[in-house]
Amino acid sequence: MGEIVRYKRDVWGEDVILGVSWDLLWVVAVAVLILLAAHAIVMAALANKKMDIPSAEGRRVLRHESIDRLFHWVMAASIFALIITGIAPILGWGWAWLDMHWIAGLLLTFVVIFHIIRSLFWQDFKSMILGPRDFGEPFDSAKKPGKYSFEQKGMHWAVTIVVLAVVVTGILLFMQIDTPFWDRTNSMAESQLGLMFLLHGLATLALIALVATHIYFALRPEKMFYTRSMLTGWISEDEMSANHDPSRWSPKEAD
Amino acid sequence: MVATSHDVMPDIELYQPTDEANALALAGTLGRDGWLLGGGQDTFGWLKDRNKTPAAMIELTQIDAWKGIKEIADGIEIGAVTTLTEIANNPLVQSRYGLLAQAAGHVASPQIRNVGTLGGNLVQDARCWYYRRGLDCYRAGGNICYADSPQGLNREHAIFGASRCVAVSPSDTAPALVALEATMVVQSESGQRLIPAQDFFVGPARDIVNMTVLNAGEILTAIRIPNTWANAEFYFEKVADRNVWDFALVSVAAVMKVSGGVIEDARIACGAVECVPRRLEAVENALRGQQRSEQLANQAAAIASEGARPLNYNHFKVPLMENLVKRAVRGQA
Repeated sequence: MGEIVRYKRDVWGEDVILGVSWDLLWVVAVAVLILLAAHAIVMAALANKKMDIPSAEGRRVLRHESIDRLFHWVMAASIFALIITGIAPILGWGWAWLDMHWIAGLLLTFVVIFHIIRSLFWQDFKSMILGPRDFGEPFDSAKKPGKYSFEQKGMHWAVTIVVLAVVVTGILLFMQIDTPFWDRTNSMAESQLGLMFLLHGLATLALIALVATHIYFALRPEKMFYTRSMLTGWISEDEMSANHDPSRWSPKEAD
Repeated sequence: MVATSHDVMPDIELYQPTDEANALALAGTLGRDGWLLGGGQDTFGWLKDRNKTPAAMIELTQIDAWKGIKEIADGIEIGAVTTLTEIANNPLVQSRYGLLAQAAGHVASPQIRNVGTLGGNLVQDARCWYYRRGLDCYRAGGNICYADSPQGLNREHAIFGASRCVAVSPSDTAPALVALEATMVVQSESGQRLIPAQDFFVGPARDIVNMTVLNAGEILTAIRIPNTWANAEFYFEKVADRNVWDFALVSVAAVMKVSGGVIEDARIACGAVECVPRRLEAVENALRGQQRSEQLANQAAAIASEGARPLNYNHFKVPLMENLVKRAVRGQA
C-alpha cells in the first residue's frame, strides 16, 4: 500500500514503470465517497434556506439538440463499458475483457472526434469557454451564468482533458495488440509501454472520480432538470430564468 | 527480477497435511501464499530460482484420499496426487482409457513420472522460458511479451489464441482428458466444484496470470473420466525435440467410435498449440458419420490448422499439427 507507481526490474537490471498502482483505486473511491457525502450533508443542512425548485411547467426552451443528447449517452455508455471492462480484471473478475475494451474505446474515440468537430463548427463553442467572470460566479448569487455554469464548464473541461488522455494513451496501447485492423508488433520499448500504462491508469482513476461526481450531481434534486434536459432536450422557462441569465443565453423555444 | 539459480531451496514453511480437511483449511487460510505441492516438478525450479516466493508450501501427497484409481458409477476417478507412472501402468486405465495411459507415459522421463502427479501435470505453469526465467512479462504482471517481440525466440509457443501472452499449455495429459470428456473435481473449504476438463484451462484473453480456473484456496483433488469413451479407439502422439524429458512441440489426443470404417463420433484435442488444450470441434464435426479415408484425413488436417497464426519461429507447427491430426484420423502413424 501507499505507492502510486508500480515498478519492476527489467532484464538490464533497470527499474521500469509497469503502470499505476491499483491501490489508488480504493483511495479514489473512498475520497470521492467522502467528498460527495460531505456535499450531500451540507446541502441537506442548507435545504430549508436554498431549496426553491422552479416549476417545470409552462413554456419550454431547448437546451440540448437531439444529436447532442445522443452523443452524450453514447459517450456515457462507452465510458461505462471502458471502466467496467478495464477495472473488472483488476478486481479479479476474470473474463475476456480486452476485445470489449478496445471496441468501447474505439466508439469513445469516434464520438469524441465527432463532438470536437461539431462543437467547433456547429455549436456555440464560446458558451463553454471559461472566462474570468465565471470564476466569480460561485461567490455571487446575483451573477447568473449563460448556457453553462462555472461548475458545468469546469466539469466539461476536466472530462475533456481526462478523456483525451485516456483516448490518446489507449490508442497507443491498442496498437500493441491484435485487432482486425492490424497484427500486433510488440515493438514499443518497455519503458514507453510502462509510461503509457501509467498515464492510462492515472487518467482512468481521474475519469472514475469525475464520472461519480457527474452522476451524483445529475441525481441531485436541484439539478435534476438538467438531467431531464439531457433526455428530453428541454428545460422550462422558469428553470431557465432561475438558473441562467437570459441576456447571456437566449435559447429557442422547444418543439 | 531475472532469475538467479540457487542450489538450495529458500527458507519456507512446509505443511504436510494428512487429511483432506486440514489441507483445505490450510489452502483456505494461506490463499495464494500457500503453494500447493504435488510431485514438485513444477515447483522446485520456481522456488530455487526465487522467481516465485510463496510464504508456505502445502504438500498434498500425504493425503491418501486424493491418491489412487477407483471405479465409480460412471467411469473411473483418479486422485489428483496419483503419480503418472501409476496411471500409465494401471490395468484399468490401460484397458479402458488407453489414451490417458499413453499420454501419462509420455510425460517427461521415468524418474519424473515416478514422482510427478496427474494434478501437477494438469495445473503446472507455463513453460515459456522468458516467463520461467523471471522476466517481467505480461504473465508475470508486466506489460510485454518477450517471446512475441521482434527478436523473441518462440519456436515452442502458440499458433492459436494468443492474447498478449503466447505461452502454450505444456501438459501432455490435458489434451487426453479433454478428449475423454473428463471432469475436474475441485474442492475448497466452501465446497466442491465439478468442472469439465475443457473449461478447466483458461487462456490469456480471460486470465493472463493463471492457466486454470482454480481460485485461491481451491485444490484439484480428483479427475473423473466417464464411460462415454471407454474402450473407444484412441490415438495419442507427442512430437518433441527429444523423446524423453521434453515438452511437446505439438501433441494430439483423439478418441473415436468407429463402426464398419465409419467414424460415428470423435473428440480431438491438440496440446502445445494454444494456452489451453485446443479442442478441434470443427474437425470432429467434419468426421462424424464419414467413412474413414485418406481424403477425409487430409480434409481434417486442413480444417485443424484453420486460423493458425504462427510466430516468427514456429511456422513448422502448422504442418506438424496437420500431420498429427491426419495420423489421428487414419488411426495410425
